Amino acid sequence: MRWFFLILAIAVVATVYALGPRGAKFSSPPFMLFPDMDNQYKVKAQKPSDFFENGQGARVPVEGTEPLGFKFPVSGEGVGRTDLDFSRGSDYLNTGLFGDFYGKGFPGELTMDAAFLERGRERYRITCAPCHGDSGNGAGVVSKYWAIPPTANLIDARVRDMPEGQIFWTISHGKGLMGPYNGVTSVRDRWAITAYLRGLQAVAGN
Amino acid sequence: MRGLLHEMGNIFPRWTNLLAIKVLVCVGALGTCVIAVAWYSWTPKYTRVGYMPQQPIPFDHSLHAGQLGMDCRYCHTHVENSAHSNLPAAQVCWNCHGPGKVKSDSPKLEPLRQAMDENYENYTGKPIEWVQLHKVPDYAHFDHSAHVNRGVSCVECHGRIDEMPVVYHAKSLSMSFCLECHRNPEQALRPLDQITNLGWKPEDLEPDAFYAYLAGKTGTGADDLKKADEGKVWGQELIGIHLQKAWGVHAPQDCAACHH
Repeated sequence: MRWFFLILAIAVVATVYALGPRGAKFSSPPFMLFPDMDNQYKVKAQKPSDFFENGQGARVPVEGTEPLGFKFPVSGEGVGRTDLDFSRGSDYLNTGLFGDFYGKGFPGELTMDAAFLERGRERYRITCAPCHGDSGNGAGVVSKYWAIPPTANLIDARVRDMPEGQIFWTISHGKGLMGPYNGVTSVRDRWAITAYLRGLQAVAGN
Repeated sequence: MRGLLHEMGNIFPRWTNLLAIKVLVCVGALGTCVIAVAWYSWTPKYTRVGYMPQQPIPFDHSLHAGQLGMDCRYCHTHVENSAHSNLPAAQVCWNCHGPGKVKSDSPKLEPLRQAMDENYENYTGKPIEWVQLHKVPDYAHFDHSAHVNRGVSCVECHGRIDEMPVVYHAKSLSMSFCLECHRNPEQALRPLDQITNLGWKPEDLEPDAFYAYLAGKTGTGADDLKKADEGKVWGQELIGIHLQKAWGVHAPQDCAACHH
């Protein structure tokens, strides 16, 4: 009995020592006793799939087809959850262009109101401000730490005189060192950012 | 006859008198230890919390989200629209770390150059294979958009990512973890513009602006709302209860809410 408890005590101490406390950092994949249903064999977002020939889980539409009824749900809060999402088209709304020229003014599909501007402000802060700065003066937080080639000052005369279509086009496709943002901001949000930028320029005055 | 009984009485020596009890005690002690160890370690609080895998690029959240103050949604762009909070495409990294920009020749960014730089000798064009570390089981459905659009911050499930140089699993994400919040949603609700502000403190919220917002939502006058709250402690619980009512938040607790 004495021996039993001695061995048991040693075994418990060894086990506890080997297991370690809760929350200790480790890098091997978490232990799972029954992983079967936890990891199901199905297509998952942003995951590869060996089911398809090219190994990609995400499928692209068959060439020459358009997905039907692809809309985000509309929410009651703010302007979010747009139905003008990542549409592709050749009209002014989607390109900022009339033929070969940048268009002036905002497309008729959009409602210009306070909520739209607020949406623009929010998206500008998220997407543009790190480089262009909260006020649009081109001195964002990035320029504080790294000496990269100067970022465009969005409130100076050059950008103020740009037609809206050109600003939209530049957000969508980038320019110079700036990358394209048409993959991360929706069509509507890009117009909202353009509208908010007009507001920043108006505040900066002169 | 008497002699035989006497002999039989000696078949079991004295020490066997307590044997059954001793075996019971030992088995009991062993069982208790096994259960105690399983109790402690056979739970996501042990198996998942602290998981800190090595990523192909040692992306530092404490630098980007913390020091630079970048919004979570600069990279996780579709978290408000989608059940799945996306990882950014390599293009998003490339926006800042492309040629001639920030730290573009750092050896840590090797996988990014392989994915994006067509002039690079080891260019593959294949996406960066980040290691997923937060995961609910495939039989549980979690919708990011449903939560962030109703005032549940990233920090509730992911912890202070903006203070982590290397991201680790901070909360258990077990079923009881989900239910804790679904039973008391007011403990986690905050104004929608503070969702990605991981260091937000309910005490910092400006009461007047908050009551004005509530008044617009509920149709009750801001002053009336304020008067009704007189003497109550200004904090998470009060704010959460108001928001829950204003938004009509009914955090479901039925099985089919998540297992469908």
